[in-house]
Amino acid sequence: MIAGLVTVSREQILAITEDVFAAMIDGGSEVLVTERHEPVPAPVEPLCAWVDMTVAELGLGVRTIVRTERPAADQLTRALLMMDASEAVGQEDLVDAFGELANVVGGNVKSLLAAPAVLSLPSVAQTAPELPENQFLQDIALDWRGSVLVVSLWSLV
Amino acid sequence: MYVLVADDSRVMRQIVIRTLRQAGYDWQIIEATDGQEAYDMALAENPDLILSDWNMPNATGIEALQALRQAGCMIPFGFITSEGSQEMRDQAEAAGALFLIAKPFTAESVRETIDPVLA
Repeated sequence: MIAGLVTVSREQILAITEDVFAAMIDGGSEVLVTERHEPVPAPVEPLCAWVDMTVAELGLGVRTIVRTERPAADQLTRALLMMDASEAVGQEDLVDAFGELANVVGGNVKSLLAAPAVLSLPSVAQTAPELPENQFLQDIALDWRGSVLVVSLWSLV
Repeated sequence: MYVLVADDSRVMRQIVIRTLRQAGYDWQIIEATDGQEAYDMALAENPDLILSDWNMPNATGIEALQALRQAGCMIPFGFITSEGSQEMRDQAEAAGALFLIAKPFTAESVRETIDPVLA
């Protein structure tokens, strides 16, 4: 059932992130986020943001998780709030900004699902709640300004 | 123009307000942090336009819009939201919204959507 609900390809996730980063983060049409083909290094100071899309009548859902390292999340927050590179990023702004990034990426993923779903508010934590490997659907690693982000989709059953 | 921007994310409110300025709209902005506050501020402040997120705590944007219309408040209302599916566009239109701008947006796409509404 979930395979019929989620037909989101890695290319579509890449296109969504390219649009989001170009419009909201990198200040124009320049695309600075690219697919990473090298292995993803083990996270040292991870930060995850995620949103859930649920189809209540089917008892199914999809989770979109964006993972990066804290320094990259700080950099994303500064870009979204147009802060100077030297400005310290507060925890509240970090959670708000990184959560909103996951919210916009997830909202665009939701538009690609085969059935109308309800989007949750974003959550942010060092790690996302662990899900069984068999619920993994799709992921893509991305390079952005020297940092690595991973966007992954998981089924919720 | 006196405009109410409703979004539970302070970051997103700031981005929306910045984008409105970049689009050339020199508007006086007031901010609401959820759907209930948007409803209350709309009735109390009577803005010329409401720009609202969809997915917010307490009351969603669509619930705020429906409650305003039920209260007889016909202030022009548009959504700026991360979800732009046809189903949501139809739901927004049925509730009386004038437009739905999907995130991510640019100053150009915002202007292209809002300019015709202001004309």
